[in-house]
Amino acid sequence: MSHAVPHNSVKHYFAELWSAVSTTVRGMWITFRYVWGVKIVTVEYPEVRIVLPERARMRLFNDAQNCISCTQCALACPVDCIYIASEKYPEGTELKKASNGTPIRLHLTQFVIDTALCCYCGLCTTVCPTECLTHSHDYEFSQYTIDGMKYDYLAPDVIAWRDRIVKA
Amino acid sequence: MLDTIAAGINAAVPGANAQVLNAEDAKCDGSVLVEAAHIHAVAAHLKASGTMNVLQCITGVDYTEYLEVVYVMAKFDLAAPAQLLLKVRVTDRVNGAVDSIVDLYPAANFQERECWDMLGVRFNNHPDHRRILCPDDWEGFPLRKDYITQKDYRGMQVYPEGKMNMGDREFIVRQDMIKKAQEAAAGKVQ
Amino acid sequence: MQNKWDIDGHAEPHTVNAETEKMKSDLLTLNMGPQHPATHGVLRVEIKTDSEIVAHAIPHLGYLHRCMEKHSENLDYRGVIPFVDRLDYLASMSMEWTYVAAVEKMLGTEVPRRAELLRIMTVELQRIASHLMAFGTYALDLGSFSPFLYAFDEREKILRLFEEVSGARLLYNYIWIGGVWNDWTDEQLQRVGDFCDAFEPETDKYHALVSVNKIFLKRTVDVGILSVQDCFDYGATGPVLRGSGYQWDLRRNMPYSLYPEFEFDVPVGTGEHGTVGDCWNRYIVRMREVKESLKIIRQVLKKIEPGSVMGKVPKVLKLPKGEVYVRHECPRGELGIHLVSEGGDSKEPYRLKVKSPCFTHVSMLPLMAPGQMVADFVATIGSIDIVLGEVDR
Repeated sequence: MSHAVPHNSVKHYFAELWSAVSTTVRGMWITFRYVWGVKIVTVEYPEVRIVLPERARMRLFNDAQNCISCTQCALACPVDCIYIASEKYPEGTELKKASNGTPIRLHLTQFVIDTALCCYCGLCTTVCPTECLTHSHDYEFSQYTIDGMKYDYLAPDVIAWRDRIVKA
Repeated sequence: MLDTIAAGINAAVPGANAQVLNAEDAKCDGSVLVEAAHIHAVAAHLKASGTMNVLQCITGVDYTEYLEVVYVMAKFDLAAPAQLLLKVRVTDRVNGAVDSIVDLYPAANFQERECWDMLGVRFNNHPDHRRILCPDDWEGFPLRKDYITQKDYRGMQVYPEGKMNMGDREFIVRQDMIKKAQEAAAGKVQ
Repeated sequence: MQNKWDIDGHAEPHTVNAETEKMKSDLLTLNMGPQHPATHGVLRVEIKTDSEIVAHAIPHLGYLHRCMEKHSENLDYRGVIPFVDRLDYLASMSMEWTYVAAVEKMLGTEVPRRAELLRIMTVELQRIASHLMAFGTYALDLGSFSPFLYAFDEREKILRLFEEVSGARLLYNYIWIGGVWNDWTDEQLQRVGDFCDAFEPETDKYHALVSVNKIFLKRTVDVGILSVQDCFDYGATGPVLRGSGYQWDLRRNMPYSLYPEFEFDVPVGTGEHGTVGDCWNRYIVRMREVKESLKIIRQVLKKIEPGSVMGKVPKVLKLPKGEVYVRHECPRGELGIHLVSEGGDSKEPYRLKVKSPCFTHVSMLPLMAPGQMVADFVATIGSIDIVLGEVDR
C-alpha cells in the first residue's frame, strides 16, 4: 500500500499532531510575511510595458531599400517562411548601393515573411550580409485571419513608416 | 573494448556472427553487428555476463538496402562505465521481424513500439505491439526514406492547400534551381 | 508488486464466498485525459480503477508528436538547433548542448575555453530554472499555490538574464556549433553572481515551506517506490535513478567538456524521510541539485577569462560518414543524441534520433501505478518530472 502503517499509540498520535501543527506554522510564518513586507513584482500590463533587452527576438523587420536579394535568409530559415522574388535590372541602369557598399544588382519584387510560421530563432538575421533583416521589439501583432500574418515588406505603408524612422 | 565484447558474444552464442564495425573516421563511434535471428540470445548473454546492464534506446536507420535496428546499451557501473551500439540488419522491408527483448530488458517495451511505428520493423512476442507516437490507424512508416504522407486521415486532409503555403515553399526551391541553372549557363558560355 | 486485478477489468474481492461473488465489481476505466492540469502536458493515461485504487495505468502518447526527427533530415546542421530547442522546452540549453556536442564530436572542432565555460554556466543556470519549475508545479499538483509563485519569481530572474544574452526567454538558439552565439559582458556575469548570492537563502525557504511540511510528507513519502534494479531494467536515469539511491551522474561518472575541473557533490536519495526510491527522495534530489549547480556557477565565475566565444567552423558543414551517440546529463535525465551522417557532400543529418529520458520514465508508470490511489498517482507523475515535448518529440 502507499502509506506507512500507522502505529496505534497515543504517543504516536500526539507526535504526529505536533509535527503537523509545527510544520504548518513554520510554512505559514514564511507566507504571512508576504502579506505586507514584499515589493509587488507584478507588471500591470498593458498599462505598463517592460522594456525589452536590446537583443530580444520579436517580429522581424526587413529594410527593403537595403536588401540585395541574396536569399541567404530564405535558405537559412529552418521553417521556410521567407518568400523572396527578384528580377534583374535592365542593362545600363545605374545601381544604387546598399548600406554596406555592395551595389544592388537585383530588383526585389516580393519579400514576404509568414510570421505565423516563423519560429523567431534569428538564424536569418545572422546571415544577412547588409544587416537589413533585424528583429524588432514588436510582440503585439495578432491578426484575425491567418493570411494576415504574412507580412509584406514592400507594401507602401511599411516603406513610408520605414522612411520615417530609418535615417538614410 | 568492442573486440572483447564481440569475442564474448561469439563464444556464448554460436551463430551470432558478431563483427566489429569500426568507424571509417576516428571521431565517430564503432559498433558491433550481430545476426538478426540471434538477438535474443545475444541480449541474454550481455545481461547474464554483466557486460551491459541497461538498455537505453532502440533506434533504427533506413539504409535503402536494409533497415538497421540499433540497440544502444550501457553499463551503469560506478567503477567501469561503458556504452555499446549493437546493430542488427533487417533486409525484408515488408515483413521484417526481430525477436523482442522485453522479457530481458523491460525498457524495450516503449522503444520497440517506437521502432515499429517509425520504421515498420516487427518485434515477435512483444506484449503490446501497436503504434506509440502516430495515431493507431496511421498508414505508412514515417522515418523510412521512401515514405510519402497519406493524403487523408479519417476524412481530414493531411496537408490542406490553404494552410500549407506549398506554392510559396516550392517557390524558394525553384529560385535556388533557377540561380544554379543561370550560373551553369554563364559558366558554359565563358 | 502482485497485481490482483486482471487485465480484462475484473477486481477480485478479498474473500471469496457466495456473498462476495455477488459483489464482484468491474474496473472503472478513467481517462486521465490529454487535458489535465496535473499531467504536465498532453499525456493521456488510461487508468482502470477499483473504486479509489488504480489497478492498471496505460499511458497513450503521441499528442505532441511533431516528427522532429523527420524534419531534421531536411535541415542543415545549424537549422536543427531551433528544433532541438523545442524538445524539452523547459531545459533548452541542455538540449542544444547535447546536439551540438554530437556534431562537434564528428567534426572535431575545438571550442574555445571561454565558450565552454559559458556553456557550463548557462546549462547549470538552466538546470536551476528547470528544477524550480519542477518544484513549483509539483507543489501545485499537490495543492499548494504559494511555492509555485515563489519559484517562478526566481525563475523569472534567470529567464531575464537569458533574454538579455540570447534574445529569447525559453527557446534560446544560443549554443551554436563551435561555441555560443553572443558573449556575456562583465556586468552581466556580475549579475549572475548576485543572483546566486540572493537565491541561496531562498532554497532554505523552499525547504522549510514544502520539503518538511507534514502534508507534503504524507503525500509523497512511500509513494511510487522504485528500486535500483527497476531503474536499470527500465533505463531510468537522472534524478529518478539518484532518488533510488544509485549515485550515477554523467558529469561525474562519464565526464564531458570541462566538468572534471569542477568540484560538486552528487546528491542521492538517502531515505531521510520515507524509503529510498519514493517520490519524496526524487524530489529532494532535485532540490539538493540546485545547490550543487550554484556551486558550479560560482566556480565558473571565478575561472572565466576573456577570449573568443566561437571557434573555427566552416561555413558549410559537412560531416564525415559515420555515427555518434552522445549522452549528456540534462535536468530530467540523460539525453542521448544518435546522429548518423552519410558523409560526402550531404549538408543534412541522415538520421537524428533523440533518446529522451522522459520517454523511458513514462514507461515506468504502468510499473508504479498498481495499488496506488488516484491522488498518489498524481504525486507519482509529478515526481518523475516529464515534459511532453521530449516524450513525443
